[in-house]
Amino acid sequence: MKKRFLLLSFFALSAFSIAKAQDSTQTDPPLTITGSVDTYYKYDFADRSNLPTSFASDHNSMSIGMVDIALKKKVNKASFVGEISFGPRGQSQSLPNAAGVYDETTNSYNIQNLYVSYDVTDKLALTAGYMATFVGYEVISPVGNFNYSTSYLFTNGPFQNAGFKASYAFSSKVGLMAGIFNDYWNVYKSVSKLNTFGAQLSLSPIEGWSAYVNLLTGPSSGTEIDFTTAYQITPAFKLGLNAATFSAGNDYEDGGFTGVALYPQYAVSSTVTLGLRGEYFKTKAGDYATFGPAPGESVTAITATANIKAGPLSLIPEVRFDNMSNDAVFVKKNGSPSKNAGQFVLAAVYAF
Amino acid sequence: MVALAGNKLYAQASPKDSLGFDENNKYIYYQVVTRPGLSADTIYQRALYFLQTAYAKDKLKLKKQEPANGVLKGEGGFMVSKKALVSKHEDGKITYDINIEVKDGKYRYWLTNFVIIPYERDRYANFVPVNGKKTPLEHALRLLGQKDLDDYLEKALVNSRSIGERLKNFILSPTPTAKKERKIAPVVKKDW
Repeated sequence: MKKRFLLLSFFALSAFSIAKAQDSTQTDPPLTITGSVDTYYKYDFADRSNLPTSFASDHNSMSIGMVDIALKKKVNKASFVGEISFGPRGQSQSLPNAAGVYDETTNSYNIQNLYVSYDVTDKLALTAGYMATFVGYEVISPVGNFNYSTSYLFTNGPFQNAGFKASYAFSSKVGLMAGIFNDYWNVYKSVSKLNTFGAQLSLSPIEGWSAYVNLLTGPSSGTEIDFTTAYQITPAFKLGLNAATFSAGNDYEDGGFTGVALYPQYAVSSTVTLGLRGEYFKTKAGDYATFGPAPGESVTAITATANIKAGPLSLIPEVRFDNMSNDAVFVKKNGSPSKNAGQFVLAAVYAF
Repeated sequence: MVALAGNKLYAQASPKDSLGFDENNKYIYYQVVTRPGLSADTIYQRALYFLQTAYAKDKLKLKKQEPANGVLKGEGGFMVSKKALVSKHEDGKITYDINIEVKDGKYRYWLTNFVIIPYERDRYANFVPVNGKKTPLEHALRLLGQKDLDDYLEKALVNSRSIGERLKNFILSPTPTAKKERKIAPVVKKDW
């Protein structure tokens, strides 16, 4: 309650300085329109959809991801972002509908981001609305990911968090964000309360290296502690890492997950980059079910991806193999249980 | 040494209002401007005022001043984007260094060390700098391709000209003192 009061006070105080901060001598930048479209073909080696990734779900099919359109405008210190998406990836695979359920057929709001922001000073910004989560390495937009299929850490983590947040940059190397968010992840409105606390410590110790320590904790949403980092070691070689642990909230007696994923990427030319994703993901014992291994079980996944750029168009061929600690999730081509699964994906992503 | 380097720069770049290469094969926009009647000290003060106030700090700021030598150094940057009919976003930022040297009746300036920092979309649909990727324009062909490089060189030239033009206006005008508050005359309705 105290945290929520503190943040609401921040917004109230900032209102006093808004009128003062207007500078009518500058020309307003134009409305920015950006976005992407993506489409893919996937073949699962078991001749059926096997892997529980968030997107690229259709086997042996030329399928669509989404058309994603983001609008942004900033006047002086005040800005907004409105991002809408249409298609499986941009609707039920990443967004709840108006009723709060993941149903492709009814009443989608199609909103990925909808927030307003105000720069109180050069260092302090306040933001309110429905925002992509600050937790994790991978994102919903295919433009923001190197791999086309998604990690278990991404699929089982939050996608969006609605709430208020304040971000303060202590220097170009250290920043802190703190906010209060709806009681559950990924909901357009709270089920009953605004009581999930979130914080992010961002560090940039040296040129090319960024690191984020994230905390998201609430009685209903549970607690996730996440570490995300990326280091551009040479102009051609980049190494990323994501590690997280999650404990389920009050709706469950026990459970959660722990995992780590490593992302080495090497640019062999200006248009071709090769990369791997190696992930270990373990589900904690309890009654919390994940998209992946059963409680107490684990999975190891290796994904080899190429990113071939032709201007705004990226072609993404990808091969992925998953190995589960038991045979409860995957099946073989003949339908019998299997510990292993694999797939090939060829995706095309156009960014504008 | 500075004088020697200056002579070389002058010989290479002064005749043309375009980007050239300096003795280190770096892109440079170099101009010499005469202002007869203005002392070196006056030009210096006005150029200093230019670096301190002409642009927002993220676009141009003073880096070093040497009044004894009549030398000023600044650093800045400008956004570059590909324009389309309805879509436009930041593709990157080109940073640069600016050097100004003054003498009685004339000054010279040059912009160099042009570096492109690519931008990418983040999770909040904002375009932000790619951490750790800074490429001097002289080495950007592999990163950008010929078409984009030509486009960015053109933008570097246009911005350099614009900065030089604004510097010229600052040198021409006396350094302003504190701005007077504009007063609006009251409307007297009594007598009509």
